[in-house]
Amino acid sequence: MRNAVAAALVCVAGPALADGEDITIRGEVIDTWCYFSGVMGGPDAVTGTAHHTCAIWCSAGGIPVGLLAEDGTVYMILALGGSDQSAGGAAQLELASHDITVSGQVFARDGLNYLVVADVVEDHGITNINHTDFGVVPGFAIPNPEG
Amino acid sequence: MWKYLIPLVVLASPVAAQDGPFSEGSEARSWNLAWEEPARFEATVVDMLCEVAGDCASECRTGRQLGLLRAADGVLTYPNKNNQGIFTGAAVDLAPFCGLEVEVDGLMIEDEYVGATNVYLVQMIREVGAEEWVTANGWTTAWAEEFPEAAAQEGRWYRNDPRVLALIEADGYLGTGETWEEAWEITR
Repeated sequence: MRNAVAAALVCVAGPALADGEDITIRGEVIDTWCYFSGVMGGPDAVTGTAHHTCAIWCSAGGIPVGLLAEDGTVYMILALGGSDQSAGGAAQLELASHDITVSGQVFARDGLNYLVVADVVEDHGITNINHTDFGVVPGFAIPNPEG
Repeated sequence: MWKYLIPLVVLASPVAAQDGPFSEGSEARSWNLAWEEPARFEATVVDMLCEVAGDCASECRTGRQLGLLRAADGVLTYPNKNNQGIFTGAAVDLAPFCGLEVEVDGLMIEDEYVGATNVYLVQMIREVGAEEWVTANGWTTAWAEEFPEAAAQEGRWYRNDPRVLALIEADGYLGTGETWEEAWEITR
């Protein structure tokens, strides 16, 4: 809910940063397709531990990852820590669902925000513990031990 | 509680496939997404890092994200998804067309609530002037070529991908270290 409200506010206000401006920002590394399309539920259900395995799958499949900032703004990550492999790169997979602080440059283009991350300043680990609310999303993320 | 409501929310979503400004002539297949719009348009396939940030030294190199610079209005759309069922992006399918003028057909996502605009699911691609469409479903074939041993296993690619398996082995399905059995029990 917190993210949803913040996102709604940000949509109205929008970021005021200039293209290529240096930025240090904290947020969660998310799977942007599930977040934007709603294909698996609302925004709070497709983040955090509930969506961790799916986020890895999508990142491995080359779906763009994003940084969901603390104010609810989504930044599409085009490069991460010196790697331009934003379609299936190792760094994106390893940071899926992690809460990270990054430094880099921000851009805005036709309604979307983009981030070129120079450095991961700090990896806070996974802090969005929401599987107790949502289970796993999608429900088959964990294989059924009964087959 | 929420895990039971999510499927209901998805099913109860507003009627999908609202018409948008580029819907005329589209033959895109609906995915029943709440805010999808069929969208068929001409565009140039561009390297996103080059187009957005001016980093063009490795333009169109494998692994970089690709975008669609729309011919009609110069708007940059971001194809987050290809035409395959789940978990696969569009860069592999767009790569053969990088730098070329193409026509695409698919679904545009416009959802102010989550900040989605000009987000695209590409279903079909063809170079401008070509007769035949190419279906954007090449990701799993490319994956199988890169990971032949994993592809030889039974089951979906995402159950066998060695990168995925290594991360789940290290951190569990929830990412916080639980074993498979623990994660299964606490999410039931």
